[in-house]
Amino acid sequence: MIIIGGGLTGLRAALQISNSGLSGALISKVHPLRSHSVAAQGGMNASLGNVPGDDGASDDWKMHAYDTVKGSDYLADQDAVEKMCNEAAATVYELEHMGTVWSRLENGKIAQRPFGGAGFPRTCYAADRTGHNALHTLYEQVLDRNFPFYEEFFVTSLVKDRGRCIGCTAIEIMTGKIHGFISKAVLMATGGFGRVFNRSTNALINTGDGLALALGAGVPLKDMEFVQFHPTTLYGTNILMSEGARGEGGILVNSQGERFMEKYAPNSVDLAPRDVVARSIEQEIREGRGYDEGYVHLDLTHLGFDRIMERLPGIRQIAMDFAGVDPIKEPIPVQPGQHYSMGGIDVDINGSTILPGLYAAGECACISVHGANRLGGNSLLETVVFGRLVADTIINDINNFQKPDILPIESAVNDVESKIKEVMERKKGANIFDVKDEMTELMFQKFGIFRNGQRMEKGLNEILKMEDKLSELTPNNKDLAVNQTLIQFLELEGMLKIAEVVAKGAIKREESRGSHMRTDHPNRDDENFLKHTLIGLEDKNLNIKYKPVTLGMFEPKERVY
Amino acid sequence: MKIKVYRDHDGMKNSRYDTFELEPKPGLTVLGALFQFQQNFDDSIAFHYSCRGAVCGTCAMLINKVPRLACRTQVASLLNGDLKIPLSPYPAIEENVEWDSKEEVLVEPLPHLPVIKDLIVDIGKFFDYYKDIEPVFKPADSTPEKERLMDPGSIPELELYTNCILCAACFGSCPIDDSDPEYLGPAALAKLYRFYIDPREENGIERLKIADIPLGWWDCKFHGNCRRVCPKDVPPLIAIAKAREQLEKEGEDL
Repeated sequence: MIIIGGGLTGLRAALQISNSGLSGALISKVHPLRSHSVAAQGGMNASLGNVPGDDGASDDWKMHAYDTVKGSDYLADQDAVEKMCNEAAATVYELEHMGTVWSRLENGKIAQRPFGGAGFPRTCYAADRTGHNALHTLYEQVLDRNFPFYEEFFVTSLVKDRGRCIGCTAIEIMTGKIHGFISKAVLMATGGFGRVFNRSTNALINTGDGLALALGAGVPLKDMEFVQFHPTTLYGTNILMSEGARGEGGILVNSQGERFMEKYAPNSVDLAPRDVVARSIEQEIREGRGYDEGYVHLDLTHLGFDRIMERLPGIRQIAMDFAGVDPIKEPIPVQPGQHYSMGGIDVDINGSTILPGLYAAGECACISVHGANRLGGNSLLETVVFGRLVADTIINDINNFQKPDILPIESAVNDVESKIKEVMERKKGANIFDVKDEMTELMFQKFGIFRNGQRMEKGLNEILKMEDKLSELTPNNKDLAVNQTLIQFLELEGMLKIAEVVAKGAIKREESRGSHMRTDHPNRDDENFLKHTLIGLEDKNLNIKYKPVTLGMFEPKERVY
Repeated sequence: MKIKVYRDHDGMKNSRYDTFELEPKPGLTVLGALFQFQQNFDDSIAFHYSCRGAVCGTCAMLINKVPRLACRTQVASLLNGDLKIPLSPYPAIEENVEWDSKEEVLVEPLPHLPVIKDLIVDIGKFFDYYKDIEPVFKPADSTPEKERLMDPGSIPELELYTNCILCAACFGSCPIDDSDPEYLGPAALAKLYRFYIDPREENGIERLKIADIPLGWWDCKFHGNCRRVCPKDVPPLIAIAKAREQLEKEGEDL
């Protein structure tokens, strides 16, 4: 089997596949350690109960599930949430057993801190470098098993034969050669599409390639209108300033010196969920209570040198390197920025797509544990839990699959070669990078934190015009080896399609829920919209359908923080 | 200001330097300058990038003759002369290129690794050495039901080494990796030490013996370039000195 993507999900799946004795390979457009998982700061949620709650109460996985479902504005599928929260403790322990150096309490147990929207201090962390530590641990494990990696291979298409996914094609970036990969199963683990937006915390590589590939293979994308904007990204570069900063006691302050979150979320204050805090900051800025350049302050100065150095050394370094601000001495300028893609490839509870042989897990998938808004600390958890569980699904399914035929792979390689030849032979048209910049700016302006129907319709028209322009774009560089402009062109094709899906889903969802805030439809509308959006390609057109949300333990209620 | 970039790829007889002029806006990093070069001057330029936030370790290159992460390096600070780092000499950092450090930023590929194209080097050897030291956790006991307990006091020393992002800046700065290309290098040795001091491991001297070879612990001459260029303040020198001490002690005991 083939795993596409070498972040936490892909590596955890590779470990499972390797342990099962199946043969497989992992394809990634970057070295696995350069995957965006490495940048996750704050932590991983699990109801270990190592730190008691306010009144001495002990945490359990059902409370975790409740917080997750409430945080999702009731759009998450509760069977999936249940599965994830139930597996959470075992997942944190598993990483510990593989060598991850988690931060510790005085009694030697794994430390946990409060995070937004959580009723308990539930977030396990390795200082503010949790993703880095977890990714290195899993990489060490997979490397130790000699699992084959195809590094710096950019996947160009999924190959289908007789209604099944039987592999993929990929361009080897360093040589420009097109390769075919044949397999009984393909697991998509390519992460999010944050770079569709210009203000994003995401790595530059997060261009949603896996989503575009699945869409192109006829698999629908789910709930793509739900895009998380993180409240605190560093002004200027939009690098993440972890929610852990507020978990450790950091506060948000506007230009009048007011702790404005007291007004928007009287109970949770600075630790309300991300959608609530991001909107509050944006509103402060729009109403003139931000700083002129469009930011507010994240103040950690009262935490003191020792606490910052022990718990938040990474974000201190980032603030100093990229904004010239030392958080020990002065507040950090922050503004909301795109952070996470709640939507993704539509999969069932086992991680299977509607295309037999194709599976997806992690941020590129929408198994729907996050619904309309993800809680901090739940994404690292999702990656490792479902990297393992979806690999298990594949291990179970794979014996029922016939040996795939090589001919369709060869023909797919030819198709990609012809397509690339055609792109390279085009006459010079518009600048690829200009179109990309135009798209990312448009997406933040028209499909950002506050949305409305008219503006989004205009935005969609612009996206369609840009898609028309694609056929005129070509790199100046005509070499095939190490042609990063060609790779960026291929990424851009997928990103524009994803932008169109986000736009259509957002326009049709005439309500406000979680991260999707419509000023023209400010309330949640369970009667009409307590359902998942599914957008798929049919005869080259995007077609919208809906499907019900799996409820269960928790009935939808108004969300108050 | 100008950015002066090393260019080398298949089909070129000799490498050359291309110079591109751009506005040094506040906050402009060397990586940002390279993207401007790509977008506005020549889209065939090749360089590695991913996180742009100094955490993924992919964009280490030789900037003004010092190995650094391109994404973390502010152009304005380079032009002000604030980022000068004195290094023990080795061939790649000799002043063999004409460049005006008040006006220009000089960008070259990371030394000690073969160039694939322009600023992209083949990192394979660096990861081979990393793999040679068996970088995988080997616990002393069988797997418990919950977590193994760890004294929080043991964490800060471990974090010194787990913070390594494997960017290879140290490898590109090490005079020994220039003269002895088979030397395991600072990052691999620091990684090995990280496992050695993990209190959950057996802490056996066997771990250290993996690099008890001439081209391991014993080849370092304590130039200290590795520590000076590390974007994460990892101290390979301390690891190497302590490992030698342990191995020498073991030798005396026998």
